[in-house]
Amino acid sequence: MIEISGVSQVFQTSGRQSHLALSNISLTIQDGAFVSILGPSGCGKSTLLYIVGGFVAPSQGTTRVKGKAITGPGPDRGPVFQEFALFPWKSVLGNVMYGPRQQGVSSAEAEAQSRQLIEMVGLKGFEHFYPKELSGGMKQRVALARTLAYHPAVLLMDEPFGALDAHTRTRLQNDLLNIWERDRKTVLFVTHSVEEAVFLSDKVVVMTRSPGRIKRIIDIDLPRPRRRAELLLDPHYQKYVVDIEGMIDDTSEDELHP
Amino acid sequence: MMSWRTLVSRLAPLLACLGLLGIWQIGALILDTDSFPTAIDALRAVPSILTDKESLINILASLRRMAIGFGVGVGLSIPLGLMMGRSRAVASFFNPLLMITYPVPKAALMPIIMLWLGVGDLAKTLVIFLGVSLPVVFHSFQGARAVEEKMLWSGAAMGLSAGQRMLRIVLPSALPEILIGCRTGLVLALITMITSEMIARQSGAGNILFNALDMGQYDTVFAMIIIVGAMGIGLDAAFEQLRKRLVRWSEPRFDLPLSFS
Repeated sequence: MIEISGVSQVFQTSGRQSHLALSNISLTIQDGAFVSILGPSGCGKSTLLYIVGGFVAPSQGTTRVKGKAITGPGPDRGPVFQEFALFPWKSVLGNVMYGPRQQGVSSAEAEAQSRQLIEMVGLKGFEHFYPKELSGGMKQRVALARTLAYHPAVLLMDEPFGALDAHTRTRLQNDLLNIWERDRKTVLFVTHSVEEAVFLSDKVVVMTRSPGRIKRIIDIDLPRPRRRAELLLDPHYQKYVVDIEGMIDDTSEDELHP
Repeated sequence: MMSWRTLVSRLAPLLACLGLLGIWQIGALILDTDSFPTAIDALRAVPSILTDKESLINILASLRRMAIGFGVGVGLSIPLGLMMGRSRAVASFFNPLLMITYPVPKAALMPIIMLWLGVGDLAKTLVIFLGVSLPVVFHSFQGARAVEEKMLWSGAAMGLSAGQRMLRIVLPSALPEILIGCRTGLVLALITMITSEMIARQSGAGNILFNALDMGQYDTVFAMIIIVGAMGIGLDAAFEQLRKRLVRWSEPRFDLPLSFS
């Protein structure tokens, strides 16, 4: 369980001004839930994810994972970034093996596990390629495998498909769901795409623009496993998308007429 | 079958060298003065220098000082540059020092260093060390500063400590940039090596050159220039081969267009 309570984040901007990025966020995420944080750009949704990851310390408030206060990054929370952040000097296999090796898994075992993961994300045959030789979608597959390799209890995904073209994006969404169905890790998924959030999540957290506040939390009550083709025709799915899009529009209205 | 075009572009460097030697030869024949020997005379003097035991000892002594100065310079500058790139405090401490020393020709420090350390190996090696250090510090600093934050975060999530991140993420990630600094440093090492031997004349390749100049052996002077130039080209080409091998994984933007290899 992830408990975020009373988290605020203030950034010092140039000069002596400060900018309130997150304001009093409280949120509880159950184990095994797929939760998306949705909001316009600049609403601090990524910052919230970085706070849970322990990469950024909040100005106020506390975050706990399984009852333990977060003081820094740790292998129980695995990030996947929009920028992939692969190690360019390591091959695909080297990247995926990095975490397990760091955790003290023997070389042979880490390699065997990593090869399996690489196959699972659909990159069999690319084990010895360097990141620069891969397309964006392939890089993100490697990044996902690299994070899954050290068995984090929570996946922190920061607009992971934001830099990909529409086609690649849909394929990766499907594959992510298939992978997630196997072991149902807790996933915190930041996105600005309403369809993506509804398609993937159990719960969608809609945030307002700066300062970032939680506007609504919507339970997505759609059956799993989800099939994209079925879902797109499902009126329930369509209603969720339209409703949530309306909420985001409201958010922009607030911006225009405060 | 090699096409005419690729053959020309392969042979271009050789043709350029031959052209230069040709111009030299003709120019020297026209001017016809003692202080400007012909290309053929200068080239003829090269083997006699390289077979002379005394000269060889001198050249090897030069190379040894250069290797030590370069090695120590690189060994200290890379960690310093990387730390400056990752820590604002370290950067603001060393930055003024480096800014002051940057425009000073390192050879200009030679008289003072000679005063303190004598004219022996130590003084010359120190000057070479100083010449090598700045570009390597600068490029290591740039490289470390450009490391993607998210890459470090990924490492931190895997459990890498701050020290491990420095050694296993910042260092490899900055390596293409570091090696560019090292390449500049290597050529600067050769230059400061010769200059230091010009000022503290005791042994070395620079010493042979300037002794020959004093004695009016101009073909030896020009032959030494050819030898030093060839050493520079050879070292640079060898280093470039090594660099390419070390950063095969890197994006092509780090490829240098200017290279003899």
